[in-house]
This record gives sequence, structure tokens and C-alpha cells, in this order.
Amino acid sequence: MLALDIAGLEMRFPGLDTPVLSIDKLHLAAGGGLAITGASGSGKSTLVNVVTGLERATQGSVSWGETEITRLPTGRRDAFRAAHIGLVMQDFHLFPGLSAYENVVLPVRLARRLKPAERERALHLLEITGIARPGQPIETLSRGEMQRVAVARALLSKPGVIVADEPTASLDRRIGGEVADLIVRLARAEGATLLVVTHDPALVERIGRHIVLDGGRIVEDAGKAEAA
Amino acid sequence: MMGFILADLRRFKGGALAVVVLIALSVALSVAVTLQERAVRLGSARAAEKFDLVVGAAGSETQLALSAVFLQPSPLPLMSGAVLEKLARDPRVSFAAPVGFGDSADGRPVVGTTTALVAALSPTLAEGAVFARLGEAVIGADVPMRLGAKIKPMHGAADSGGHTHVELAYTVRGRMAPTGTAWDRAILVPIRAVWQLHGMGAEAEHAHDHGDEAPDGAAAEDHDHAVHVEADAALDEHFDAETPGIPAVLVKPKTMGDAYRLRQEYRGETTLAVFPAEVLTRLYATLGDARSLLLAIAIATQAIVVAAILLVTIMHVGARRRQIGALRAFGAPRRAVFAIVWGELFLLLLAGFALGLAIGYGAARAISAALASTTAVHMPVEFARADLSLAMWFAALAVLVSIVPALSALRLSPAAALRA
Repeated sequence: MLALDIAGLEMRFPGLDTPVLSIDKLHLAAGGGLAITGASGSGKSTLVNVVTGLERATQGSVSWGETEITRLPTGRRDAFRAAHIGLVMQDFHLFPGLSAYENVVLPVRLARRLKPAERERALHLLEITGIARPGQPIETLSRGEMQRVAVARALLSKPGVIVADEPTASLDRRIGGEVADLIVRLARAEGATLLVVTHDPALVERIGRHIVLDGGRIVEDAGKAEAA
Repeated sequence: MMGFILADLRRFKGGALAVVVLIALSVALSVAVTLQERAVRLGSARAAEKFDLVVGAAGSETQLALSAVFLQPSPLPLMSGAVLEKLARDPRVSFAAPVGFGDSADGRPVVGTTTALVAALSPTLAEGAVFARLGEAVIGADVPMRLGAKIKPMHGAADSGGHTHVELAYTVRGRMAPTGTAWDRAILVPIRAVWQLHGMGAEAEHAHDHGDEAPDGAAAEDHDHAVHVEADAALDEHFDAETPGIPAVLVKPKTMGDAYRLRQEYRGETTLAVFPAEVLTRLYATLGDARSLLLAIAIATQAIVVAAILLVTIMHVGARRRQIGALRAFGAPRRAVFAIVWGELFLLLLAGFALGLAIGYGAARAISAALASTTAVHMPVEFARADLSLAMWFAALAVLVSIVPALSALRLSPAAALRA
């Protein structure tokens, strides 16, 4: 598990006068949870991209534990993300033509040889996320099942952090609730720091700490005391 | 990695197939042009090498060479029979064989000549024996007739309004071994039989009684129908000054020097002497120009195809931005993304190249077979060392071309790609 520290972070896009994201200071304890809400355009996705190293910060620093990822070059940022950050996205981003199991191990396989222990873990993760047939082609799964496979994929490398971007937004209420439950439960079980962007009040409540973004700034930070 | 590439190609199998077929067809065009040109060149060179020197009446060199080597039907002017007599007695000549064209049977040329030419074309016969009487014939290896069969010669060719000679039917006595030349389709008969059929037996009057026609070109066209040919008469292959007119004499000089001297001597006002190989070389130069043109067109086609493929793949990369972004986001290193995009395109190019090679080779074989069936000239379709460097160029180009979209995939920011 890794703690998040943000200091003096600013994201600007060319042609825009005001920064799309501006966070003076944010600390999230290792193993803690954080829900991020805000209207669309409030900077949520940009925040996710910066903390996962998908996008380079214009200014300021973002650190996970001892690693200041804003200082890493692209290749090492990618490597850090692959090793320490499990991503779950609204649109799943699974690869058709491959089975559920192959999707879970794909990122590792593209980087290096899969270890036998990872193979075991992938099958185990599919089992606990409720995918009965790991060999089933991904495109034949239901949407809820697809997101479960995505959760299993996020957890394969035992990441210290799980970042979920609207993980339930494209699922119906009941299924979304189940997936939200799965993410929160597994993050705790694995001892991973959890960062979730969501509109789902039930999910926000389960996580505890909650920040609200507006115009790229944190306008509300609730439940900090309990979470810390 | 490979599994992912294959899964990806399976997803886009329609497009992948189209790309492979496009490349295959353009490659096949170049391969067929290259191979076919080589086949025609080698085939006709081999067909010509048996005929060192051809002497004929003054006229077109090309026509003389083509008629003698490929037995192409054409009205050659006749030259005086005295030339044959002179050549036959020349000490620098190992043999001089007259060839008399004009007749055909079932679309195959009936050529009047002597046993010396049969021996030169086929030192040992495949079966039977050489003609020994005026009414006998030796057939080329490709003529579908059996020994003992009767051949009714036709003046000219059936499709140009010829008529059948009723006076004589040749009996097939022997078959030559395959020579890989146009002569495989030919029916060889004694030259004197041809002369007599056409009423040109000027010196034949001691055998028969109608030698009053002048041995000139006109005689061959409107000959007397009342001629009579003695099919059982023995061969007479001694030619003297009274010998009738002939279109061409094939000459085998004893040495290279003799060949050049003979050619020099028989280049005059009334006769023409050519090295068929030399005439063909000149024709190949034209053929070579045609090949260069075709090849340039083929290469231009390939360039267009490659450009179209580049466009398609760059658009494809654009359409796959999300997939590429996701691969990066979930931890695939950039080299893996590069390898996937590059590998997919390279595989398609390679598959198209292999398929094109096969199609081009097949097409060249088919064309050669078709040519061989009409001309009997065997045209060998074969790859040469020079083709290897062409293949290397293609491979290098394929590597470079497939790098472009791979680089464009690398330049994508994963965050931006995911938003797409």
C-alpha cells in the first residue's frame, strides 16, 4: 500500500487561461480510501490521469509513497503504473478476441513472461470476482461480468493503489452496487489504497473520505477525520 | 504477444484479407512480368542456338530469323537454288539444309528439308527412322500422331483459305526427340517432295516429265494441280545449280570464324545471311524495354498500394487509439505497443508478398504453358539470383513502411487516446 501526496499541482492545457486542475495539498494515507466527485469538466478525469501518470503535470508534484511520479520519464512512469497502480475504467477496456483469463494477464504478458504464481493468482482472482469460466471469450460476457474481469486485471500485480474511474457508471443499479462492493472489499482485503471517481452516493458513502472538485479545485473535503 | 496480434487480426479479418490480397496482386504483377520476360528470353535463346546461320533471299532479317527459328508462317521470298548447291559444297560448312515452308497439316507446319537437319535437331530419334522416300515424314516430339499415320499436307494454313494437296499423303516414319524448340510441332518431309508438290521440280524432269516451270517465287503460289509425286521414289539430297528456289538454308559452319566469314559473303544483293541469335538479341532489347515499362508500371502500382495501405493503417491506428491508450494505461510497455502495431502490418505485408510470389509464379507458368502449346518453344519459368535482391528490397521496404504507423502509435498520449 502506498500513500498519496500532492503538492502545488497544476494542470494547464494549451489555449486555456485558467488551470483545469489546481490542488495545493492533498494527502491520502496508505491503505486509505478517497472518493472524488464533481460535475463533468470539474477536473476529475485530469486528476486521475495525473495521479496514475498517464498525463504529465504542468507544475507541482505527485508522490506515491517514496516515488515522486511527476519526476519520472514516460517509460518509468509506465513501468511504475504497471507495477503499483491497478486501473478500473468506466468502459472496461477489455480486448475482444481474448478470453477472460487472457485479458487479466495481457498487460503482464506484453511486458514480460508470465510467472506460474501470476497464473495461479489470475485464476484465483477470476474465481473470487465470480467469473465461473476463465476461458470464456470476453465478448460473450455480460457488462457486469466484464467489469469484474477488469477488477481482476487491476489486482493481478498486487498493486499498492487501486484507481477506479466511474467503475459503476455504465452498469445498472443492482450490478453497479455489486461491482462497487467488490472493489471496496477487495481493496481492503489486498490492503490497497483506493481512489474512486464516482457519482454513485452509495459508493461514496462506503469509501468514507470524499472530496468534491469544482473548476479544478477541491471545494469540499469530507470525512477526512474518520479516514485518517 | 503473437497471440494478441493474431486475435487482433482475427477481429479485423476482412480488412486484413483485403490488404493481403491488394499486396499479393501488385507483387504478382511484378513477379509475373520479371519471370515471363526471362522465360521468353531464355526459351527463345535456347530455341535459336541450334541454328547458327540462316541464309535466305534478300529481305527482312527479322522475318528470316523468326521463320527459321519459330517456323512462323510468312511468305518469304525465294532465292536461287544455286546458293544451296554452293553452300553444300563449301568446305567451311559442316552441313547446309534447305527449308521449304508453306504447307501445313492440322495447323502444324510441314517443312521440307533434308536428313541432315533431322540429324542435327535430333541426333537419335525418339522412335522410328528418318524419311527415306519422298512420301515419308518425320514428326516433331509434340505432334500427336503415330508412326504409320498418313498426313495430307495443305497449301498454306486452313484458316487462311488454303487447299489440300491431293496428290500426296506422307507416311509418318519417325519421331524426333524433344528439342524444346518450335520444331517440336513441325512435320519434316523431304524437300524434293515439297518442290514436286508445288510443281517446282525443275531438275526433277529426269524422274518425271513436267519440269518446265521456272523455279521462281510465283511458281510456288499458283502451281499446277496436275503434278504427280512418286511417293516411293528414293531421296536425292545432292543439289546442283538446277535446284529450285528455296526460302532459306540453315547452315552449320565448322568454326566460329567460318560463321562470320560466311555471313559476310552471303550478305549481298540477292541473298541475306543472319545469325538468328543476334537478331533475337535485338528483339530482346525491344522486349527488355517492354519489360522495363511493365515493371515500372508494376512498381508504381506497388507504390500506390503501399501508400493506400499506409493510409489505411494510419487510419486504423487512429481508430484504435482507445485500444492503444488502454494497452498503455494497463501497463503494456511502449515497446510492446510498438511491436504489436509494427508486427501486425509486417505480417500482412509478408503474407501478401508470399501470396503474390505464388500467384505471379503460377501466372508465369500458365502463360509459358499457353505459349509453349502454340509455339512449342519451351519457356523455362525460373527464379534467378537477381530476384533475391528484389525480395530483400521488398522486405526492407516492408519493415520501413510498417514502422510509420507504429511510430504514430507511440506518439499517442495514453490519456488522450483513452478520451477518444
